[in-house]
Amino acid sequence: MFLAFKEMARAKVRFALLIAAIALLVFLILFQQSLQNGLITGFIGAIREQSAPVLVYSVDGQRVVQGSAITPEMEAQVRTAPGVREVGPIGQGTFTGKPSGNADGETFDTTIIGYELGPDGNGIGAPTTVVEGRLPNADNEAVVSDADVQLGYGIGDSVTLLPGAKSITIVGVAQDAQLNVSPTLFVSYETYLDAIKSVNPDAGTPLPNVLGVVPADGYTAEQTVTSINDQSLDLDALTKDDAAAQTPGVSQVQQSFNIIFLLYGLVVPCVTGLFFLIVTFQKANSLTLLRAIGAPAGRLVSSLLIQVIVIVGAGLLIGTLLYYPVSQQSLGGITLRFETSAVVFWSVLLLSLGVLSSLVAARRVLSIDPIEATTGQGVGS
Amino acid sequence: MNSAPSATTVTTALEMSNVRKVYTMGDGSDVVALDHATLTLGSDEMVALVGPSGSGKTTLCSIAGGILSATEGRIVVGDEDISGHSAKELTKFRQDKVGFVFQSVNLVPFLNARENLLVVDELGRRTGAPAKARADQLLEELGLADRAKNLPSQLSGGQRQRVAIGRALMNDPALVLFDEPTSALDTKLGEQVMELIRNEMKSRGTAAIVVTHDERITHYCDRSVHIIDGRLEA
Ligand SMILES: Nc1ncnc2c1ncn2[C@@H]1O[C@H](COP(=O)(O)OP(=O)(O)O)[C@@H](O)[C@H]1O
Ligand SMILES: [Mg+2]
Repeated sequence: MFLAFKEMARAKVRFALLIAAIALLVFLILFQQSLQNGLITGFIGAIREQSAPVLVYSVDGQRVVQGSAITPEMEAQVRTAPGVREVGPIGQGTFTGKPSGNADGETFDTTIIGYELGPDGNGIGAPTTVVEGRLPNADNEAVVSDADVQLGYGIGDSVTLLPGAKSITIVGVAQDAQLNVSPTLFVSYETYLDAIKSVNPDAGTPLPNVLGVVPADGYTAEQTVTSINDQSLDLDALTKDDAAAQTPGVSQVQQSFNIIFLLYGLVVPCVTGLFFLIVTFQKANSLTLLRAIGAPAGRLVSSLLIQVIVIVGAGLLIGTLLYYPVSQQSLGGITLRFETSAVVFWSVLLLSLGVLSSLVAARRVLSIDPIEATTGQGVGS
Repeated sequence: MNSAPSATTVTTALEMSNVRKVYTMGDGSDVVALDHATLTLGSDEMVALVGPSGSGKTTLCSIAGGILSATEGRIVVGDEDISGHSAKELTKFRQDKVGFVFQSVNLVPFLNARENLLVVDELGRRTGAPAKARADQLLEELGLADRAKNLPSQLSGGQRQRVAIGRALMNDPALVLFDEPTSALDTKLGEQVMELIRNEMKSRGTAAIVVTHDERITHYCDRSVHIIDGRLEA
C-alpha cells in the first residue's frame, strides 16, 4: 500500500494521464453502448413493446412488418393451427404527420400501427407499457412512443395526416415503442384503415401486414410458433423477441457495434499493460534494491496490482461520471439511457483485463534477482 | 531455531567456514569467486575487507548477507545458520537480520529520506509508530533531521550515503555490510562518512564489514582482512 500510493503521489501527472485516457475510453464505450441500445430500440422497440407474444409474417415480407401481407387464406391457416388462442390483425403504414404540439408547425414521417382495440384498448398488439395517459379506447385516439413527445406529440395534441385532414388525438404515451426511428402512433385497426383512405382515397382495403397471436393455454410461444410454421410454407411465425432481433438491419447494427466494442476491449488493457510494463522497467533499480533488502516478491507484485486496480477503477469512475449527463440526452430522435448493466459489465471486464494485462509487468517483477543490487553499475539503467 | 537468548548468548555476528562460490560460465569453465573463505566477526566487531577489484569482496558480502547462495561452506549470522536457506527464507533473513549499503543504488527515488527508512518497516510485519520513532531518531543522529522530506534527487552525495546508512540500520540488524561506502565520495567526505559509520556501529554494538580498496580508511575499523583472488588473508 505504502509503496503503491507513495509512487503514485510522486508521479501524479503520469498516473493522472493514464486515468484520463482510461476515463475517455470508458466514456466512449458507455456512450456507444447507449447509442446502440437507443438505435435498436428506436428501430424495433414497437415490436418488443407490443402485447402479442407471437407475430406471423408472410414469408415474402422478409420479416419487415410493412413488407408483409396476410391473405384471408393465410389467416384461416393461422386460426386453425394448434396452440392458437386468439388472433388479431396488425397493420402498419408511414404517413406525413403534423403534430399540433409542435410550435414550428413541422411535419414528420410518422409510423401508424393499427391493432384491434378490444373492449378496453388492450387488444392483441397493444403497447405493453403505457407510462402516461391511457390506451386508446375509441377510433381516432392514439398512444405515442415516449421519444416523440418532445417533437410535439404530447397527450391532448392531435396529429393531422397529410395530404388530407385525418386527425388523430393522442391520449397516452408508451415506453420505448418506436418503429423505424420515427414518431410512432398505436391506433385502432379502423383508424389505421381510415388513415390510408384519407391520404389515398382510391386505395382499396389493404391486407393486414402481420397477425398477432396469443398462444393457447399449455402452449409456450415457441411451441405456437412451430405449430403455425408447420401449417404452411407461406407463414413465418416468430416470437416477438425473435421478430425484433431478426428485423433486417438489427444484427448488422449489433455486429458493427460489437466490432467497435472489441477494439475498445483490446485497447484499454493494451494501454494499461504497456504503461505498467514501462513503469516497471523504469523503476527496475528500485525494485531490485527493495528485493535485496528483504522485500518479498509477492509484496512488490501486490503493490503493482493495487496501482492497476486504483488507476483502472478511477478511470471507470470518471468515465461513468462523464457518461451520466450525456446518457440523459436524446440524439437525433434516438433516446439515450443510462445503461447500468453496461456500466457493471464493462467495469468488471476492464478491471479483469487490466489486471491480466499487468501480469507481464508482474512477471518482470518476479524475475528480478536481488543480486543485481550488488553490481557496481546498477541494473536497468 | 529459536534458542532462548539466555541459554546461549551469541558472541559472534558472523561465522563463515570454508565458504566457496564458483560461477560456471557459459562455455563450461568455472570462475572461483570465493575460495574456502573462513571468517568470524565478534558481535560488535568492525572489519575492513580490503582487496583489489574482482577479488571477491562483493561476493563475500552478498553471501554473508543472504543475497547470494554459496556453492559450499557454512554461514551463520547471529544465531541463524543460513547455509541451507531457501530463497524465501533468505528474503526474510535479509529483512530481519542484516543491513546493506550497496555500491551503487541505495535509495528509492520516489521516496523521500524519511520514507526511504520507513520502507524497511513495510517489507514485513508493519510496526507503525515504533518504526517512525526509530526513523526520526536515526535521521537526527545522521544529521538529516532537516532533510527528512527531501527526495534523493534533492540531496548531496554525502547526504544520500547517510540516508542509506540510516536505512541499513532500520531493522536493528546483527550485521551491517558496507560495500565500498566511500568510493563515490571525495576524501574529506569519505572520512566523515567513515567516522559516522564507526560511531553508529560502536554506539549500538553492531558488527560490520566495510569493503574498501582504500587502505587509508581501514583505521576506522577494528581490524583488516585482505582478500586476493577469492582467498582471505588476515
Ligand atoms: N554473476 C557472475 N557470474 C560470473 N562471474 C562473476 C559473477 N559475479 C562475480 N563474478 C566474478 O567473481 C569475481 C569476484 O567478483 P566480486 O565479488 O564482484 O569482486 P569485487 O567486489 O572484489 O570487485 C570476479 O572475478 C567476477 O568477475
Ligand atoms: Mg565489488
